[in-house]
Amino acid sequence: MDKVTKFLSVKDLVVEYASDGETVHAVNGVSLEVERGKTLGLVGETGAGKTTIAKAILRILPDVGCKIRKGEVYLDGEDILKLHENEMRKIRGNKISMIFQDPMTALNPVQRIGEQIAEVVKLHNDEHVNPEDRAKEMLEIVGIPAERYYEYPHQFSGGMKQRVVIAIALACNPDLLLADEPTTALDVTIQAQVLDLIGDLRKKYNTSMLLITHDLGVVAQVCDNVAVIYAGNIIEYGTKEQIFDHPSHPYTKGLFGAIPDMNEDEEWLHPIEGLPPDPTNLPAGCAFAPRCNYACEVCMKEAIEVAKTTDGHDCRCCRLAEIAREEE
Amino acid sequence: MEPVIQVDHLKKYFSTPRGMLHAVDDVSFTIEKGKTLGVVGESGCGKSTLGRTIIHLHEATAGKISLEGEDVTKLSRKALREAREKMQIIFQDPYSSLDPRKTIRSTITEPLKVSGKMSKAEIEIKADDLMELVGIDQRLRLAYPHELDGGRRQRVGIARALALDPKFVVCDEPVSALDVSIQAQVLNLLKLLQESKGLTYMFVTHDMSVVKHISDDICVMYLGQVVEKCESKELFRNPMHPYTKALLSAIPSTNIHNPMKREILYGEITSPINPKPGCRFATRCKFATEACSQPQIQEEVSAGHFVSCCRIKELG
Repeated sequence: MDKVTKFLSVKDLVVEYASDGETVHAVNGVSLEVERGKTLGLVGETGAGKTTIAKAILRILPDVGCKIRKGEVYLDGEDILKLHENEMRKIRGNKISMIFQDPMTALNPVQRIGEQIAEVVKLHNDEHVNPEDRAKEMLEIVGIPAERYYEYPHQFSGGMKQRVVIAIALACNPDLLLADEPTTALDVTIQAQVLDLIGDLRKKYNTSMLLITHDLGVVAQVCDNVAVIYAGNIIEYGTKEQIFDHPSHPYTKGLFGAIPDMNEDEEWLHPIEGLPPDPTNLPAGCAFAPRCNYACEVCMKEAIEVAKTTDGHDCRCCRLAEIAREEE
Repeated sequence: MEPVIQVDHLKKYFSTPRGMLHAVDDVSFTIEKGKTLGVVGESGCGKSTLGRTIIHLHEATAGKISLEGEDVTKLSRKALREAREKMQIIFQDPYSSLDPRKTIRSTITEPLKVSGKMSKAEIEIKADDLMELVGIDQRLRLAYPHELDGGRRQRVGIARALALDPKFVVCDEPVSALDVSIQAQVLNLLKLLQESKGLTYMFVTHDMSVVKHISDDICVMYLGQVVEKCESKELFRNPMHPYTKALLSAIPSTNIHNPMKREILYGEITSPINPKPGCRFATRCKFATEACSQPQIQEEVSAGHFVSCCRIKELG
């Protein structure tokens, strides 16, 4: 595929952390693409490498003990991993911005919230835009009265703080939004408000989004495409319909099976037995093989190639045919 | 059947610089032996405070708590200690609720040592049993909490809570910090233990799908008060209170073809400090009228289905 056709294109990204003399294999060859105006959901459990991917795209990984070993990140056809730091600074908060998970810690507690929004505008916009006016406008857009420009984060509730974080992220009309569990810290009624707001604003500005979450319900509501990640590897990739109607990888199936079903009464849940692998010591073959009911010798030994099932529905599993046969 | 836990008009207020915070305000319910009462609500609704007040980690401001028919609200220190052996708690955060400097074994045996009813040899046997019961390998007996993942830590928390063979266990968001694949393991374990030991649970959570799965009855709380109370199945089939309806519609469904119509709540959340006497949800409720500023009375709308909303008949 031509790299220029997709708005964001990550190719074969490998990120490692050094910890206590050991190497943590956080991201192991991830490739993904986001089209303009579309949303890709990145789904996985704690420690799967979701946040590391977002931080690698934005190049805000810690300098010490962390390394992007390999990979390319194309934004609009330009490999931003090769840019000089000064150039990158112009992109952050302007072309790409990030909504952080925890609104309680993402804001500066001793700076007025209006100023925190205006700061981004000051850095990136030309002189024609008055940062304070723009910040007030953003507050109104996210549903906070502009008078509250002069207040501090502690005067806001959790949901309102997250709306401020969203206002900061959207203040410069970014082309790409990296949303890292934007509603995980919020109550469901507030989550519904915030998801609605993000959806409206994205539609208005045709923003692309990479949504990181562990909540399949949120993915179902918000995303166009879905990538399921396990131990730093994308194990299944497809449209929302492909993933939700025909989950193929045993891990994806396991995830769906483990959620208590709101529409059915079942006595027992179906957990995925075992634990995710130790990222300092990943299994030689498929990382999910030790927990997989269908694992064979090949799964334990060899790196598994991606099997393309139907149009664009990719699955990193070598036992798909056997699993399908067994299910019949 | 005699209820294991009976709570009557329980109140817990905290004094703050700005006035009294009504964390739990006039809550009543009973739980029968072997049953699970789910308590759901959003952050700050007082659900955890309710659980903690019942097992006397907070002293109740007013009201009565009975455990197997015995009033445990006002007990002497010694009697309270006895009573506490019968009521235990599993905490939300398996990372901060275990002593980082104690081995798994010593965390599990601590309640046994404190109660002073067993010899050293008996404690050793009991500890082996407990570890097997919750599914922790013997090889981890001398491990420290930081060596364990969240799911295993929560199993240690469960073993500790069950060490003294309690009758009643408050499960305070026991799976909220866990990933779904691990969450299902722990939920199954809790259910299995309930069946084998006849335990009575109060299960506090904000997760509607979890509460539906585990509970026999459910209380929905909003800012310290129970707004709706009924059987679990009934609540999901026929939610009545406007807040319950909004709460249920806000849950993102994994059904992509038939998404539920979401109801977005607007309006400010009422402060729990010195609240006005009326319905606390009224500021966000699209059905609110004058009458909602009067104190709300809990009514039995249909058999076993209680709702605190003065407009329920008109809305129905």
